[in-house]
Amino acid sequence: MSAEGTLMEPIVERSQASGPADVRLVSVIVPVVERADDLVTLYRSFAGELDRRGEEHEFLFIFDGGFTPPAELAALSREQPSVRLLSFARTFGETAALRLGIERSRGDVILTLPAYFQVRAEGVGPLLDALQSGADMVVASRSPRLDSWLNRLQSRAFQRMVGGTSDRRFHDMACGVRLIRRPVAEALPLYGDLHRFLPALALREGYRVEEVAVPQHPNDARTRVYRPGVYLRRLLDIAAFFFLAKFTEKPLRFFGLVGSVFFGLGAVASLVLLAERIAGQGIANRPLLLLAVLLVALGVQLIGLGLVGEIIVHLRSPHRRAYRVRERV
Amino acid sequence: MPELSVVAPLYNESQNVQPLVDWILEALEGYSGSFEVILVDDGSRDDTWQRIAAAAAAHPQVHGLRLGRNVGQTAAMMAGFDHAQGRVVVSLDGDLQNDPRDIPMLVAKLDEGYDLVCGWRQRRQDKLILRKVPSWVANRIIRRLTGVQITDNGCSLKAYRRDLLDRISLYAEQHRFIPALSASVGARITELPVRHHARRFGESKYGISRTLKVMVDLITLKMITTFRSRPLVGFVTVSIPMLAAALVFALLWAYVATHFAPFKAEALVFPGAALLWLGAAFYLAMLGLVAEVALNSERESAREVPTAWEVR
Repeated sequence: MSAEGTLMEPIVERSQASGPADVRLVSVIVPVVERADDLVTLYRSFAGELDRRGEEHEFLFIFDGGFTPPAELAALSREQPSVRLLSFARTFGETAALRLGIERSRGDVILTLPAYFQVRAEGVGPLLDALQSGADMVVASRSPRLDSWLNRLQSRAFQRMVGGTSDRRFHDMACGVRLIRRPVAEALPLYGDLHRFLPALALREGYRVEEVAVPQHPNDARTRVYRPGVYLRRLLDIAAFFFLAKFTEKPLRFFGLVGSVFFGLGAVASLVLLAERIAGQGIANRPLLLLAVLLVALGVQLIGLGLVGEIIVHLRSPHRRAYRVRERV
Repeated sequence: MPELSVVAPLYNESQNVQPLVDWILEALEGYSGSFEVILVDDGSRDDTWQRIAAAAAAHPQVHGLRLGRNVGQTAAMMAGFDHAQGRVVVSLDGDLQNDPRDIPMLVAKLDEGYDLVCGWRQRRQDKLILRKVPSWVANRIIRRLTGVQITDNGCSLKAYRRDLLDRISLYAEQHRFIPALSASVGARITELPVRHHARRFGESKYGISRTLKVMVDLITLKMITTFRSRPLVGFVTVSIPMLAAALVFALLWAYVATHFAPFKAEALVFPGAALLWLGAAFYLAMLGLVAEVALNSERESAREVPTAWEVR
């Protein structure tokens, strides 16, 4: 996947995006999409930590459809202009909430925070330090983990599968605590459920991503079991992410390969049948005939799909660049 | 604004940076116009970038671009092209195998009225089995398939007119197909023999494994150079042999059905095969329509901001 942009200007602009810069305002974006702890306590501990470090901050709580802002938080936001609450009318999910937060916030650094205590507030300091030393994105990795074995197993399995799609292995991609420079956050193609892959996505786009160990909060250790549909969706997300990483620019390499294999097997089966027919054997009642027909048909279809994909990629190519300039001299 | 831009992508070519810069500057000493050299560091893991930065600091004509990660030769070249300001752009390999002394000759040839002048490596200094034979075969296939008579498509040393670069956008691994892609947008192309040297430092980034990929890419190339503006025609062209096969099987069926009464189960194989090919041909024609839709929607939206979906 590549950054979108017209020819010169955006590329140059983006090239100046990275590199160390001092942090003037931290926008904390809290998407309230799944479970939520007491948000006022959450606010107080993280705001307190940022205050201790002397960072300016604003908090944006984004409530997905079905979540209503608690009364105390609403009261807090009335007396604190730096605390803002936004609400979706229907369910849009975490990625959309993050996008809205990025759009509506003003900070030059964005801190995404789950609506429950995932890490201890003290962890924010090391994250900011890592960003100030030049990273474009800093992701928290919960360590040491206090979880039950079931949580750890799920998380390990997820990590393992995602790891295969990325150049570098992240230890805790599922952790929602991430610090991102604004230009990077705005440039990332965030849609669907891609928020789960933010670090890998940023890395793929050519940004510098650091991982920092942050102590896990005991509240996060609660055992999580999801409905089977959730696991399936997660799996499909990974498959899509993997496919896009490898074949966005060359769909025919994927569809053409699979299609050719099908077509080839179908052709071989047909030839075998033909040889048997010539040798005098009847083939009309052979299941192999059905299989051969199916494979040939599938092969043609897959190769055709790949070609359509190539046309679409080609049509988009004037607007796309696979590279991102990090520095110019 | 410089007259001439020289673009060289480098990936892990630390030892080659300084000699390359010296060599280019030496070769262009007698060049009449102003020029710039753009060195693109394609996410090297060694100290290539530090050397480029040093060279850029030492020479005002030398510029460096550092990419966020390794994106491959095509995209690295595009980065250089996008930042090149010259009316004429020359690309060459960062590994010293091309000879910068050939640059003035290529530029002079371009001024005779060409949009693209391709280098043609004489006495190529590479491994025979791993590099030269596959390259020879690939070049033959490319010539046959595209009708563009360029002997050495793989040579990086090329001179382009700026207008041409504005009309082609390369992606994936299309640097091999620059002549064919240029021809498809109407460029005037020629080639000139150039010198070629053996690698002095570092190692080759190519292997034989790319052969299969190149073959697949060739199919794409044929399609986008021939049918870019009318994909339906392309898809229907492919489906015509299938229709022919369907017809043959249908006729066989008719023959068997009329001459070999009573009817046997065996005879069902023929209508089955006829339907298979008829279905495949129909399916491809429908896909051609999808491609037309894609083409049309792109034409409509070409001026629009890239797609982003609105969150309330």
